[in-house]
Amino acid sequence: MKPKLFVLLMAVVFVASLSVTYEVKAAEPIKLGAILPLADITGDQAAKAMKVAVDEINKSGGLLGRKVELIVVDDEMKPEKGAAAVEKLVTVDKVDVLVGGMSSGVHLGQIPIMKKYEKVTVWIGAASSRCEQAVGADATWYFHLHPWDYQQGASYLEGWTAINKKSPQVKIDKWFNAYEEGAFGTAGFKAGQALYKDWLTPGGKPHLEGESFKSAALGGGDYRTVLRHAQETKPDIFLWTGYDADALPIMEQAKEIGFAPPIFIGSPPGWPATFGKSPLAEAVTLYGMWAPSIKEVSKVSKHFWDAYIKEVKQEPATYFAPLGYTNIYFVADGIKKAKTLDKPALIKALQETKYVSPIGETLTIKPSTIIKNQGFTKQKILQWQKGQQQVIWPFEFSTSQLSYPFPSWQKR
Amino acid sequence: MNVFSKLKQSNYQIAIVSVFLAIILASWKPHVLIEGIQRACLYAVIALPMALILGIVGIINLAHGEYMMLGAYFAYFLNVYTGMDPLLAVFPALLAFFLIGIVSYKAIIKYVLDAPELNQLLLTFGLAMVIEQLANLVWTSRPIKLPLKYVSSSATIGSFTFGTYEFIYVGGAMIVLIGLQLFLKRTNTGQAALAVGQNPRGAKLVGIHVDRTYLFIFSLSIALVGAIGAVFMTRHSIFPLVGAPFTMKSFCLIAMAGIGNLMGILWCSLILGLAENFVLSFRGYAGWADILFFALIVLVIMVRSHQRQVK
Repeated sequence: MKPKLFVLLMAVVFVASLSVTYEVKAAEPIKLGAILPLADITGDQAAKAMKVAVDEINKSGGLLGRKVELIVVDDEMKPEKGAAAVEKLVTVDKVDVLVGGMSSGVHLGQIPIMKKYEKVTVWIGAASSRCEQAVGADATWYFHLHPWDYQQGASYLEGWTAINKKSPQVKIDKWFNAYEEGAFGTAGFKAGQALYKDWLTPGGKPHLEGESFKSAALGGGDYRTVLRHAQETKPDIFLWTGYDADALPIMEQAKEIGFAPPIFIGSPPGWPATFGKSPLAEAVTLYGMWAPSIKEVSKVSKHFWDAYIKEVKQEPATYFAPLGYTNIYFVADGIKKAKTLDKPALIKALQETKYVSPIGETLTIKPSTIIKNQGFTKQKILQWQKGQQQVIWPFEFSTSQLSYPFPSWQKR
Repeated sequence: MNVFSKLKQSNYQIAIVSVFLAIILASWKPHVLIEGIQRACLYAVIALPMALILGIVGIINLAHGEYMMLGAYFAYFLNVYTGMDPLLAVFPALLAFFLIGIVSYKAIIKYVLDAPELNQLLLTFGLAMVIEQLANLVWTSRPIKLPLKYVSSSATIGSFTFGTYEFIYVGGAMIVLIGLQLFLKRTNTGQAALAVGQNPRGAKLVGIHVDRTYLFIFSLSIALVGAIGAVFMTRHSIFPLVGAPFTMKSFCLIAMAGIGNLMGILWCSLILGLAENFVLSFRGYAGWADILFFALIVLVIMVRSHQRQVK
């Protein structure tokens, strides 16, 4: 072979190999690493909803000409497992963005590792403001979509004030909060006490009393004493803060002792699957980011609902399902906008992204008290009516009127 | 023996003081008395089968609450698939959990009967973990609760309204206690079991089949706790960890009553149930209920230990 021909051949082989390498690189998927508690309904449904979103994105051509790959790791609701999951996703799987999240306790264990790698993170869980303090003001790579606890509290007060203004017969002056004795309930009650100090109701300063109870989740399950104490105070609003295991037994025991306050609110992180089927659920008020009935007033929510049922073969039962779906689409829109996975460009694009979410609202990023990138800031006031969760407030998403007062047990 | 000499006996004095206190409580805080008795009997009915195993087989079954949890799921799925009321599911649960008890004993328990107590504890603790995690895997941690109308039944006397359904625990505790007492004292198998519990080697020498007795008692205990699970789930939400706290409470009650003292378990449960509800009845003192529960147990064990030393 002549030397010139040999050199030409080598050059062709070199260029061809470069193009193959480039194509392989281009074919590499964009990796999203999700950390969720898979044994819990919230994590399970969020993971399934994320997969629905990833499948939709891939069917429509992927992102930046590449497929999207979702890697889900179970944190088992344990901080050490959650921290190890961050380490694995960043160093072994080399994901491009971290997503997911549920428990604040787990997140507190993850934050130091996240700060070590500073990978772009879009988190849908952890409401505790202790997490916000741990993340700090400098973490521009950190996006938090779930409202913080103080934002949730403020939105409840805003909601009740609005409801009272619209329907003055709805009294909101005297509150009794029965809270589970663990960190979740106690922190919620203390946050409530702080918020009520600056809140003015039509009757002046609201009167808040509270008492702890042992949740069924921690070996309790007898609520009669705390319900009797609440009954003695004759509250306008009775609010219990506990877990889903407490939901139906509290209603049964309230009926047992004849306790039916004008407004009966339950505030667990999730509701048992059978709760709506019980006649005792009628007119129980609740807080949440989303309700299935939102699909009646939001096209995106309807699309999500149909897609989820088609893929998963079950109905989404917790707001973590649409939140998980939102999580993926928000990141995808950010990547599309940035046209690159380059970190500063992606952060800037995410900060400017406006995503019309199945939660109801359009997701935009604004600073919260400490962090720069906060997503949703409001919860909704919902009510169980005929086995369905209906949206009462914000009025723009309202699917039903508040059933008031809570009907007496004899009238059911 | 005349009435006055009877009154001098400490048992009668305790009975009189108890009746006197009950009357005061009934007029001052009637819900404490009623709900305290109901709760006490729930603790007792769960603790009795555990005490049976400990008294005769000599093993602390730390998976006790997990068998109850399985019984609760058993009743739940019977209801879902056949429509059977959970209270009726007690009977198939007895049979099913007797078989589960046989399998558990033959596959696991019998291999550690002669092992040191620590090994036995570790084994049953491990068994509890396995059952919990399997339940978590299969049914997830999401609580389940059947909506049953009759569990919120109530009665009203004057202005005082109280729940009547939890008297089912009182009935259950009585049936289990009396049934076990009759079984242990009036039947050949029961007497053989008592003999094995007191002295297995001696029992073997007189021709009692010790291993078969252990198998029967262990299976009977699992059958009872499985059936109790079916009753328990009518009133409580069920999830994989629901039984674990009751293992702890049952063990404490047995320690307080003394090993083999079935009647003592009922009395200790009553003391603890009433004391717990009494503390809870004062607003702001809910956190003290658990402290009181365990403080009373420590106190009773210390007093009994002191009495033994004095003797």
